[in-house]
Amino acid sequence: MPEAIPADEMQFKPSAHASIGIELELQLVRAHDLDLGRDVGDLLARLDKRKLPGAVKPEITESMIELNSGVHLRYASLRDELRVMRDAVVREAGVLNLRVSGGGSHPFHDWADRRIYPTERFRSILERYGFLAKQFTVFGQHIHVGCPGADAAVHLVHMMTRYVPHFIALSAASPFYQGEDTSFQSSRLTAVSAFPLAGHMPFVRDWAEFLEYYGKMRGFGIVASMKDFYWDIRPKPEYGTIEIRVCDTPLTVERAALLAAYAQALVAYHLAERPREPSRATYLVNAFNRFEASRYGCAGELVEPYERRKVKIGDDILSTIQTVMPHAVRLEAGDALAELAAGVRGGNSDAAWQRARYAEAGSLVDVVREASIAWAGGRDRR
Amino acid sequence: MELSFLPRFPLALSQPILFGALLAAGLLAGEAINRYASLPRITGYALAGVALGPQVSGLLGADALQTLRVLIDLSLGLIVFELGFRLDFGWLRLNRWLLVTAIAESVFSFCAIYASLRYFEFGPLLAASAAAIGTGTSPAVVLLVAHELRAEGQITERMLLFTAVNSVIAYVALTLLLPFLHFEHEAAWQEALLHPLYLLGGSALLGVAACAAMLRLARWLGKREDRQFVLLVAMVVLTVGAARSLNLSVVIALVMLGMLSRNLDYRHALMPLRFGYGGQLFFVILFVLTGASLQFDALWTSGLVVGTFIVVRFLGKALAILLFGYPSGVRPGGAGLLAIALLPMSGLAVVMVHDTAALYPSFGKDLSSVVLSAVAVLELLGPLATQFALRRAGETDPGRHGA
Repeated sequence: MPEAIPADEMQFKPSAHASIGIELELQLVRAHDLDLGRDVGDLLARLDKRKLPGAVKPEITESMIELNSGVHLRYASLRDELRVMRDAVVREAGVLNLRVSGGGSHPFHDWADRRIYPTERFRSILERYGFLAKQFTVFGQHIHVGCPGADAAVHLVHMMTRYVPHFIALSAASPFYQGEDTSFQSSRLTAVSAFPLAGHMPFVRDWAEFLEYYGKMRGFGIVASMKDFYWDIRPKPEYGTIEIRVCDTPLTVERAALLAAYAQALVAYHLAERPREPSRATYLVNAFNRFEASRYGCAGELVEPYERRKVKIGDDILSTIQTVMPHAVRLEAGDALAELAAGVRGGNSDAAWQRARYAEAGSLVDVVREASIAWAGGRDRR
Repeated sequence: MELSFLPRFPLALSQPILFGALLAAGLLAGEAINRYASLPRITGYALAGVALGPQVSGLLGADALQTLRVLIDLSLGLIVFELGFRLDFGWLRLNRWLLVTAIAESVFSFCAIYASLRYFEFGPLLAASAAAIGTGTSPAVVLLVAHELRAEGQITERMLLFTAVNSVIAYVALTLLLPFLHFEHEAAWQEALLHPLYLLGGSALLGVAACAAMLRLARWLGKREDRQFVLLVAMVVLTVGAARSLNLSVVIALVMLGMLSRNLDYRHALMPLRFGYGGQLFFVILFVLTGASLQFDALWTSGLVVGTFIVVRFLGKALAILLFGYPSGVRPGGAGLLAIALLPMSGLAVVMVHDTAALYPSFGKDLSSVVLSAVAVLELLGPLATQFALRRAGETDPGRHGA
């Protein structure tokens, strides 16, 4: 017997067709040694006094800050808003002798040095998960895409799971972790996988079936709210969106916006053409595909669950971009997808860029400095 | 029968014996006072020095202190180098109120001390010299307390920055008073005018030269922390030695070296600095020796003057930070804590008094009775104040360290 669920919490509020919004978790870095700082409280207090679009929030440890964009119908307006937010955060951080950086992980911080941001929720996470909570000082981008209804959201979660390796490979920006080259393109996802409620949504057919599952999990006392599921993609009823959570925070806001444009075009394509129906096979191959993408990026191979063959992730991205291009053009994001495709063809990625900086300068300290300059739009403090 | 291989008694007290014994005594006293009285270890180091010094047991006489001066210079050199290395011009440029606050903090406390000493009818030169020395915060105390508590955050950063600035201002102000001191003692005008020029210009030049050499060598060595550490120690010790041989200021030369290495390293050849356990040695020895140099006798005869000195010095710093701190990004309530954190006076003040005393001993005696008594109080209470301020600011790490 499923437990009663508070009606408003799981009420799916439909939102504008394929609208987009993103959350970006950012690194706060001390200027003097480029290790993570712990000044998010002071920074938030300063940002509070400025009129900013979107929202700025604390995250689990004091070394992180999260930017939330508003809701956008077009990629370009999202990008412009992100630039405004970025400039404000970089400026206020500078007053506090901090740098701000993208990237999925800080290359050399010591997780044990991290301190939990003092809210009740974060403290309870530390109490429950111990060192996992501090090791969760990794930095991701979450992309929200608006869905016309609850059943459509369930459908889209299943369909978008097919593209999880794309998002991992396109955003990969955490090759270094705890002072070492991990050999991965994205090492961040392993920090997420350690949580018991990580993984993916079960194979439910529609929202009613999802509510039944959710009720059971609440009944077992395993979860208290949707926030407790650390899934790769999850429906977000209060926003009326699906939330893609596998991306590393890229090194620039521009790339963050490109990734959102790609997600938007994919959703638009699946809503408009409904080319395929959900398949359990997607989830059979998911863990393998996810690993390939984290480890090798675009050079990895994924198993295509519908056609049962292996294909290079980079090639799969290029052909997918071609397929969804008409929808991207309709959404005025054709150039964005073309830019993404050019990057894939050129073998560029943020992880490769970070490794190149390391090879050039010989120290991870320099990688962080360069990344913070890239984040600030190419402007150094000097 | 005479056995020629046996040592002769009494044993000669060699420098290594002294050095080791001071380290051990400081370490044990620091640990004991931390364990049994929950006071900062620094207080224990200083108390060990007091106990060994001429004021109590006399194991460390004035002459021993003179021969050990090289250790004080080395320790102080390393410490002000580290402090200079934290002074980032980039930050001062992004946050212009910061420099305003730092300078105001120094100027206000100078004026406050000067006015109060004049009120107690001290001569203008003595009052100004004492005020100059009082302007500075102890670099060693703030750095060591910050290290021990693993403090980091906005108050900690500003405390280190303001200490770097007020230490330099203190030294420069005292040096600029030298002509008056020379004139008062009827020295030749050449001596009076050229002495400060030589001290400031020469020390700065030495710092510049050492910085240029160090950056060049660091580039050649490449980004290896272990090698760069040795280079750093070598350059610091070399610069301290050169400053001593040339009769220049160790403090100014080493602050310059640190500051310029941070700010002129456009190609980022130097890696972030970590002295680790090695640095600890120099802190302990510095505090023990400073403790041995403290004077308590004047504390009883002129307690009111000393008390006023300490209070107005604090008020000057607090007022400046309250006025200008907020626009420079100090959170509400942080200004008072920052002023408290800046209370300590220690080895730097002792060195400045001694250097002045070496020129004109009688003036030095008057100066030390005022300043060293204040240092005696602030050497013991200062670490507590800094520790309190950083803890209250929530910038220490209770998780890993119980200090």
